[in-house]
Amino acid sequence: MTPSSIPALDQSEPQPFDLMRVPGLGRLFHWRYARPLLQAPLLIVSVVMILHGLFGPSLAPKNLATTLSWLHFRGLLVLVLLCAGNFFCLACPFMLVRQMARRFFKPRFNWPRVLRNKWLSVGLLVLILFAYELFDLWSSPWWTAWLIIAYFLTVLVVDGFFKHASFCKFVCPIGQFNFVASMLSPLEVKVREPDICITCHTKDCIRGQREPATDLVVIRGCELALFQPRKVGNMDCTFCLDCVHACPHDNIGILSRMPGEELLSDPLRSGIGYFSHRKDLAALVIVFTFGALLNAFGMVSPVYAVESWLGRVLHVSQEAPVLGLIFTFFLILEPVVLLGLAAWVTRLWSGNQRALMPLMVRYTYGLAPLGFGMWLAHYGFHFLTGLYTLIPVTQSALANLGWPVLGAPRWTLTGLPSNIVQVIEIGFLLLGFAGSLVLIHTLAHEDVPDRPLRAFVPWAAVSAVLWVASMWLMFQPMEMRAMLMSG
Amino acid sequence: MVSGTTVRRAVYFRLGMVSASCFLAFLMVGCSRRIDASSLVTVEHTISPDPPRVGPTTVVLRVTDRDGKPVSGARIELEADMSHPGMPPVLEETKETTPGEYQAEIMFGMAGDWIVLLHVRLPGGQTLERQFNVSGVRPN
Repeated sequence: MTPSSIPALDQSEPQPFDLMRVPGLGRLFHWRYARPLLQAPLLIVSVVMILHGLFGPSLAPKNLATTLSWLHFRGLLVLVLLCAGNFFCLACPFMLVRQMARRFFKPRFNWPRVLRNKWLSVGLLVLILFAYELFDLWSSPWWTAWLIIAYFLTVLVVDGFFKHASFCKFVCPIGQFNFVASMLSPLEVKVREPDICITCHTKDCIRGQREPATDLVVIRGCELALFQPRKVGNMDCTFCLDCVHACPHDNIGILSRMPGEELLSDPLRSGIGYFSHRKDLAALVIVFTFGALLNAFGMVSPVYAVESWLGRVLHVSQEAPVLGLIFTFFLILEPVVLLGLAAWVTRLWSGNQRALMPLMVRYTYGLAPLGFGMWLAHYGFHFLTGLYTLIPVTQSALANLGWPVLGAPRWTLTGLPSNIVQVIEIGFLLLGFAGSLVLIHTLAHEDVPDRPLRAFVPWAAVSAVLWVASMWLMFQPMEMRAMLMSG
Repeated sequence: MVSGTTVRRAVYFRLGMVSASCFLAFLMVGCSRRIDASSLVTVEHTISPDPPRVGPTTVVLRVTDRDGKPVSGARIELEADMSHPGMPPVLEETKETTPGEYQAEIMFGMAGDWIVLLHVRLPGGQTLERQFNVSGVRPN
């Protein structure tokens, strides 16, 4: 297709905001090496975190590995996801290392068919949440450094053997977290003019641009199997911009949209299929939502009473089995009971003919905003109350190296007062709750147009239960303890 | 076409590289552990209330030399940190109440695990660091 045959834009229609059209920023994102440029600083920070974690002070509040991982990275991650999109995956340092390694090792295998779903990554996400509590990762710079190293090694092993972005799509727990949260982001990598794609024959956005003489790929297409014209939403999109660079018509932008818009309908999605058929994706949303409450529960006082009680009842003094029981309750028992009950009542009241499981899968996606609200409230709390701690920790690290260029550590620098942050937390929780109610109502209206309330009420009740639980958790006294079973 | 043997070799080579990297990293970290051999004095501590709760807590330190005699005239600064990042340390200077016995009041501002660092300057000018854990500070 020649540029002259591209249809002109209809200027009368309001065009969505396009980040790629912002002067300077658009030029940067169009540059082929934009991603490595953004990845390089994060790779340097990762290396600094590893070194400080392994060889720096063993006290978590004085170490860059723990401070950056558990305060700043997590907080910034959720805030960027809320305000923009999946830009962490764009700047992912693990992928930079992978890319460098692939200059030497070309992967030969395709990811096993049986693992082409989210079950493995759901398991890994649960494992990370479990390890976080069991090994008190927040209090251990050493373990935090090893977690980062393990991440780099896993990326190298997986993507060293398997083609495309197997690690991102099927393994990475952080990526899955980002994919779910980015469904609620206001920006999406998207086709600007669908008509242009209809007449496009090269499909470079997925195939990549090839050198005619050698047939070698010179500009990569989407490694996550997302064909832009049929891509819907942010699920599985790492914002890597490969499609942007590959598109010969400059027809892909980073466009604004209504957050959560992609959850309002259930079309066939490129590289994903139908959301309503994907039990693995629904399980991911369950872990994302109920895991948000569980993760916050792990830092408040009542968890110790529960653990002690369980330990006494079961005559167990080891933490792992007790923690395992708590995880089973929060991530399996509670969702099954709540969602199963809601699905059963929905069928009974509304006369919806769907079987229980498809009904549960369909409405589970509606809980994602609630979960995101909880993650925002939790991670936002740590980030904002410890916002400035990066300064004294960096000063201290440099001073310990014999290079006190930033002066003596100002340990009195912490962050915003917790009473202000608490108001922001409530705002996040309310936002999540409202988002879930809107989504659930839309789904209910689609399912039972004449009596939408009958399908809406059961799921709204589940959302209300989770929201009340979230609010209760946020007002509990915080208690960061390493030895949970100590009484 | 790539033969099966070539593919197997490539797989073994990569596995070998990854294993070697892990082993080297393990050795590097394992060799880096430092041992504090300082044994000039013994520092014993008591805290009250015990079990500790959020709020003011009195820390009493008894400093003795190798012969068990009280060490008088030392300067000891207490630094209490939480086990997780994001909280400022609590800094207090101790006062010597009786020969070899030093006391300070520190404020545990949050429930959870605290780590108390002792920055000690002995009368002879030697400095040393000690630390003890105050686990499970309960909320009020």
